[in-house]
Amino acid sequence: MGIAVKFIDACFFIGSGLSVTFFLLLGGLVIGLTLGIILAVLRYKNIGRQLIARYISILRGTPMLLQLSLIYFAIPTLLGLQLSVLTAGIFAFGLNSSAYMAEIFRAGIESTPQGQFEAAKVLGISSLHTWKDIILPQVFRAIFPALTGEVIALLKETALIATIGGADLMRKSQVLAAEYFTYFTPLCIAGLYYYAIVLFVENLSRKLERRLDRAHH
Amino acid sequence: MLTIDHVCKTFGTHTVLRDVCLQIDRGCVLGLAGPSGEGKSTLLRCIQGLETVDSGSITCAGRVGFMFQDFQLFPHMSVLENVLYAPLLRAKGKIAQKTCMEKGEELLKHLDMWGLRNRYPQQLSGGQKQRVALARSLVLNPDLLLCDEPTSGLDVAMLSDVVALLHSLREEHTTMAIASHDLSFLVQISDRIIILRRGCIAADIGPERFGDLPQLASSLFG
Ligand SMILES: Nc1ncnc2c1ncn2[C@@H]1O[C@H](COP(=O)(O)OP(=O)(O)O)[C@@H](O)[C@H]1O
Ligand SMILES: [Mg+2]
Repeated sequence: MGIAVKFIDACFFIGSGLSVTFFLLLGGLVIGLTLGIILAVLRYKNIGRQLIARYISILRGTPMLLQLSLIYFAIPTLLGLQLSVLTAGIFAFGLNSSAYMAEIFRAGIESTPQGQFEAAKVLGISSLHTWKDIILPQVFRAIFPALTGEVIALLKETALIATIGGADLMRKSQVLAAEYFTYFTPLCIAGLYYYAIVLFVENLSRKLERRLDRAHH
Repeated sequence: MLTIDHVCKTFGTHTVLRDVCLQIDRGCVLGLAGPSGEGKSTLLRCIQGLETVDSGSITCAGRVGFMFQDFQLFPHMSVLENVLYAPLLRAKGKIAQKTCMEKGEELLKHLDMWGLRNRYPQQLSGGQKQRVALARSLVLNPDLLLCDEPTSGLDVAMLSDVVALLHSLREEHTTMAIASHDLSFLVQISDRIIILRRGCIAADIGPERFGDLPQLASSLFG
């Protein structure tokens, strides 16, 4: 009885970190997707090509933990503005994810037949509408599985927020572990939470994919 | 209608069009003949502005419509959306939108595609896709319609459909330039046929001499 109560308490305690994890995931996703699409389109149009390539290469080529620490610890001393843990987290995860997203979108754009751009041009469709209504919907469908993979990768990365004190799933499990001098149960509970979110994301992705396919058939 | 004046086009070191001069009158159906690789598509693409010419000029009085060899329908849009997307973007106001929806409906009915308006391109046969592509071009009221290989990928039964379709456009005095490697097809629908060879116009003949075409072609291309 006592053990069961303790276990449920532990689940609740660690679960209280869910909101932070979700917040980071969604915030990072919004920034990552938006910036990723913009970068991929600009790069395709040969605008700032070298700069964008370097940005992507650096963000993918350095540790996420380093980027997070840089934004949280170094920016305040350099620019004199203090970022909250969550703001720093959202920016760090968002910027990092944008590099991966940009590469995914680039592959998707390049796999779209040149004829689709030409068909739009021939019909007098503006560049903005061509991207928004003709190209990107097709790109989304093509890269959907890769995009799902990036969402899951981002979710797992958010656990790094614990290193700068963000009270997420990971951090809560560490707190509990320190309190009870036992690692196994708290870490397993956190792991189950993460895995449950992953299953949810995969399920949602499959449903959305089927919905997109229905629009295609 | 269309004037092509000393047009040259090169891809890298490969000259595809050299000094092409050509005029198309309003209402004329021009056949563009020649085996593949002789620059028919390139000429049409230059007229449409999909390629920039190296020298010379192309002037066209009016809108140009283009039918791609592989149609290039938008796969994520239904038949009706494919046809109406571009004109609806341009239509300002309720009345203009209604007019263009009516026009789309009329065209699709005329082409016998209205019943399939909610299908997606993947669910259509080659001939049906072609009708959609045609409707998508015509709904914008082009003054000149360019068709690249309209018979490619169609079986014999559908071929006669395409001929009938293009005939009906001709009755309506649509100006057209049709590129095809199939001479016997071009003879059925053209008012005038030019033969491209090594980037030059090797022959430019009217219907009275269409009978000589097979001989002419075999002497040109061996
Ligand atoms: N974008 C391009 N880049 C390089 N070469 C091209 C390009 N488009 C066409 N060509 C070349 O130009 C020649 C004419 O092609 P095309 O106009 O498609 O001929 P046709 O339509 O008569 O078969 C071919 O030799 C082809 O390889
Ligand atoms: Mg061709």
